[in-house]
Amino acid sequence: MRVRMEYRVGNNLKFLGNLDMINLMSRVLRRARTPFALSEGFNPHIKLSLGTVLPVGVWGEREYLDLELAEEIEPTVLVEQLNRVLPSDMEIKRCIKVDEKQPALMKTINAASYSFILESNDDYLALPERIMGEEQLLVKSRGKQKGVDKDLRPGIYKITVLPQEESVIIKIWVNVGEPVNVRYDELRDLLVAQGVKPEAIVNIFRSGNYIRIGTDFYSPLEKVS
Amino acid sequence: MKDRIFRDILPNVSKPARYTGNEVNMIKKEWDHSRIKMAFAFPDVYEVGMSHVGSKILYGLINEETEHLMERVYAPWPDMEREMRQHRIPLFSLESFIPLPEFDLLGFTLQYELAITNVLNMLDMAGIPVWSRDRGEDYPLVIAGGPVVFNPEPYADFFDLFLIGDGEEVLPEFMDCCWENRHLPKQERLLKLAALEGVYLPSFYRVEYQEDGKLKQMTPRLESLPGTIRKRVVRDLDQAYFPERPVLPYMNIVHDRAVLEVMRGCQRGCRFCHAGMVYRPVRERSIETLQRQADRQLANTGYDEISLTSLSTLDYSGVDKLVKDLVETYQHQGTGVSLPSLRVDAFSIELANEVQKVRKTTLTLAPEAGTQRLRDSINKNVSEEQLLEAVKAAFQSGWLSIKLYFMIGLPGETEEDLLGILDLLEKVRALGDQYARRKVEIRASIASFVPKAHTPFQWQAQSSIQELEQKRKLLTARKMRRIKLSFHDSKTSYLEGVLSRGDRRLSLPIFAAWQKGCKFDGWSEYFNFAYWLEAFQEAAIDTEFYTTRFRSYDEVLPWDFIDIGVSKDFLQTENEKAALGVITEDCRWQECNDCGICPAFEVELDIKEEVQG
Repeated sequence: MRVRMEYRVGNNLKFLGNLDMINLMSRVLRRARTPFALSEGFNPHIKLSLGTVLPVGVWGEREYLDLELAEEIEPTVLVEQLNRVLPSDMEIKRCIKVDEKQPALMKTINAASYSFILESNDDYLALPERIMGEEQLLVKSRGKQKGVDKDLRPGIYKITVLPQEESVIIKIWVNVGEPVNVRYDELRDLLVAQGVKPEAIVNIFRSGNYIRIGTDFYSPLEKVS
Repeated sequence: MKDRIFRDILPNVSKPARYTGNEVNMIKKEWDHSRIKMAFAFPDVYEVGMSHVGSKILYGLINEETEHLMERVYAPWPDMEREMRQHRIPLFSLESFIPLPEFDLLGFTLQYELAITNVLNMLDMAGIPVWSRDRGEDYPLVIAGGPVVFNPEPYADFFDLFLIGDGEEVLPEFMDCCWENRHLPKQERLLKLAALEGVYLPSFYRVEYQEDGKLKQMTPRLESLPGTIRKRVVRDLDQAYFPERPVLPYMNIVHDRAVLEVMRGCQRGCRFCHAGMVYRPVRERSIETLQRQADRQLANTGYDEISLTSLSTLDYSGVDKLVKDLVETYQHQGTGVSLPSLRVDAFSIELANEVQKVRKTTLTLAPEAGTQRLRDSINKNVSEEQLLEAVKAAFQSGWLSIKLYFMIGLPGETEEDLLGILDLLEKVRALGDQYARRKVEIRASIASFVPKAHTPFQWQAQSSIQELEQKRKLLTARKMRRIKLSFHDSKTSYLEGVLSRGDRRLSLPIFAAWQKGCKFDGWSEYFNFAYWLEAFQEAAIDTEFYTTRFRSYDEVLPWDFIDIGVSKDFLQTENEKAALGVITEDCRWQECNDCGICPAFEVELDIKEEVQG
């Protein structure tokens, strides 16, 4: 049986690397005595796969994982068992059973949204239109080809500005993977280039991971055939 | 403060998860409702300190079973230190993000001599004066424990008090005493604490030297203080506290697994071994206790590996049954058992094969010396026949990689002994060619012998750096296929040698070395021997006085006032027997060797299962 879960990784856990997160989840499953499936061989491991890597320094509001189970278990029961032993700043929000033939999460997630929390009195309401109106948005790549000019424009789908009481949240929907993989740190560079003061950016989180079809963004829990 | 650290500092440092705290099973007690607030400081980086079993024991014991509170702090890596100093953030605890000066007690564990510069650096980062005499009423008491403080003298001027021996035995009553006397001025409080057994108050002892630089005598300044400090001993390890909910790190640490301490102490009696002398007698836990601890630790952590730790785990009387039980119980969950080191015999291999069912590792054996004569001399009671038997059995059962530990610079070592290491390695490889399924890889890790206080070799001369380099040349001259030698740094070993048998006069050069920038001296990328040499020179310290000099039996040694229970007569006899190449058998299978521990401390060997010698 395979299940897909949506979970939250809070601010306290934003400095974990991807391997740390896999270890954390494996240990959670063992503490919860989940009937996970093990791989064969000398070094058996839990058949667990996380969606796209959550970058170090960024927390995640809606992250996803797939897990193979050796026994049938009611998803709501599983959620309850896992939430009981998860670190305090993490939570499984939803869980559904998915077909074992479903493609891996890593392959289906093709978009993400990053939210930048700004503490500033400046007015950013004109920012989305200005950015989306540009032909080209060049930043220095922070990915594989470090330092090379990279045009983020084709990878940016949507920007919203949401004023809060004492802050502003700028949320940017971007492409993940080919052709332009947009990283959160490149987005931060872009915002700074657009006049946002670096010290005004007080926190960054990934607000979602999506399966994008045309102009629609679906949660990986929605688009399962 | 936590928000500032998360926002301004952690994004700029390597491995930020070292500094975030909040791990699963962390215990954060109510600050205002706790009695003595103690910060437990490990003077190395998080992933090293978090792997230390003793720290886990004390943390759990104080927080779970007393009214006091204990929080953790580790040495920040230099990139973090830079950021903290720049942002003027004092060293803080991981539980509450509280600066160290706000604690009542700051306790360091000294696992390694060279960690002392990190101690000074951590005090400085906390804004606490490093010299004990400069710390008035407003500062926490700064104390130390751990194996290094069996000779506390080189560090005597930095600490208010030392706790000698098994920490879980003394710390709770030490903290109770701190609480009862909390309203007294510091000096009076110190004297109350020094009345406890195993507690040493260095500033109240006068040290005099002879004209030739040797120690003349050490005397307490007050009659009420003891002339010798007796170590503390856990009598019943089976009943002693052991954590069942260890703090579970988020990041990968050095020993990232559940741990069972199957026994404490070892009396194989290797004559170079510090731990084997100071942690006598052997005390075992029962199989039932260990099974229960394994079950609870795994349930509370979710670890997928369980390690059986001790000074010599294969000597634990219940090891065979315990390993088989654990493997059988947890195998189906993909949870493995690991043995940190193996004895050099076929039984070990058989048991290692048992473990192999679940997880594959390199086989590690420690013959320590290359010839039978020298192995007898150091009392490493292993014959070449046994070793080769073990290796053959290992290759036959599928191992392809073997690592062997040796030491060079041992007392009485000759060229023949050194070449004997190479001959032995070639024999091991030949067995591999004969019995293994594929080409084998043999690795030898070669350490430099450092004479340690309280061992039979405490009077012996240490090899100079030049001698060690010559020995190294001799060993690397022979070309050997598929045999890799790696050497410990001879300068590091030399410095360890200065400190391990040092006296109070070393505090000045230690301080000076730290001021020059020495820290993380155990890490080769930070070790700066030139700074140390400068520091010794400026303090007019001749390091050879501490290292390459033979000491006579009538010399007063700086650590003589620490009573480990093993008599100086026994150590002397053992040193004599080494010269004659006569072995001393383990007293578990032979009659008592009169080392002195049992009558002196009214303790007994505590062996749980019937075993064949």
